[in-house]
Amino acid sequence: MIFDKLCELVADQFGVDPEEVTMETSFVDDYNADSIDIVELMMAVEEEFHLGEVEENALENIKTIGDVVEYIQARVDED
Amino acid sequence: MKIIIDAMGGDNAPDAIVRGAVQAADQLGVDIVLVGDEARVRPLLGQCAPQNPDRITVHHASEIITMEDNPISVVRQKKDSSLVVALRLLGEGAGDAMVSAGSTGALLTGATLFVKRIKGVRRAALAPVLPTAKGGSLLVDCGANVECSAESLVQFAFMGYYYTQKQMGMKNPRVGLINNGAEETKGTDALREAYQILKKASAEGKINFVGNIEGRDIPEGAADVLVCDGFTGNVVLKTIEGVGLFFVGKVKEIFMKNAATKLAGAIVKPGLREFKKMLDYNEVGGAPLLGISKPIVKAHGSSGAEALKNAVRQAVVYAKGGAVADIERSIAQLSPGSDG
Repeated sequence: MIFDKLCELVADQFGVDPEEVTMETSFVDDYNADSIDIVELMMAVEEEFHLGEVEENALENIKTIGDVVEYIQARVDED
Repeated sequence: MKIIIDAMGGDNAPDAIVRGAVQAADQLGVDIVLVGDEARVRPLLGQCAPQNPDRITVHHASEIITMEDNPISVVRQKKDSSLVVALRLLGEGAGDAMVSAGSTGALLTGATLFVKRIKGVRRAALAPVLPTAKGGSLLVDCGANVECSAESLVQFAFMGYYYTQKQMGMKNPRVGLINNGAEETKGTDALREAYQILKKASAEGKINFVGNIEGRDIPEGAADVLVCDGFTGNVVLKTIEGVGLFFVGKVKEIFMKNAATKLAGAIVKPGLREFKKMLDYNEVGGAPLLGISKPIVKAHGSSGAEALKNAVRQAVVYAKGGAVADIERSIAQLSPGSDG
């Protein structure tokens, strides 16, 4: 569920086919993403999953789709 | 036409910004929203005694983004900063364009997050006009993106092509890639790939690509739109600024040598003044942030009132001309799967 929703956000932001997104997809290596892209995605994640603001240190650890799924899951579990 | 101005951004803010905003309202006949610390902005506004006070409104924002702030994180931390509030107002449709002389990095980040890029645009780019023998060339990008893919370079080329048509009144601007040689095999992988894509697009009549441009050909005006990554663009921009000032200083030295040269200097002084004016950012105004879904103009950090007013004028033309819509269409046609 989390993964599917995230794929839609990623596909929309990076202009890619959601079917091609995997847990291992790397933002930098596969999408040539920069730090603004990561912040932009995480702001969309905050809204979509009704999370509070993503902390700065969490942003630094996000490298792959799997990292985002893990982060969302942890935040959802907290609530 | 309503222009939103970040009143607290820049070396001379808020004083010069407020004065420039009042000049813009009085002389250009536009409505202005000044975003910043009301307690500082309102008294300045009173001192300026605008001819049409109804044209200017103040929107309070309690925080200021400084040049020392991290541009990526600060736009989320300082939510009530003049820059972020101004961008949010633009994003919400409270104005037609936005002008800031504040932190370039924060403006780029904030514009991407709160106003959003045009769909399909991978990177927004900062595009100042360089003075050249033919008047001026648009430099895309001058520092927003240190490294660029071929896709981004091609997008910069199209963004510059449409912007110069609307903003500078050019019918079919010549677009060139800044490279270390004229041959199509020169440069990085990204440059070579971008060259081939632009060559094909030019053959199909979608753009007027004139090939690679070497550094020495830039001042001659070899292209109307100069495309490069932000690292290269920043070096080009600062080198031209530096060489221009060096040249003006040296010429002045020569003319000040003795009575005869001083006399000769007096004769050519108006011409030299014109030349210096060409290099003066107060005259040019600012640089558009191309690729963002609404018009944003970055004024020089050291902008005085005149420079700010000129940046507002540029923002007005940008908003009225419809360059954003043209760029949006061209990017959509470039997207994979498009027939265009």
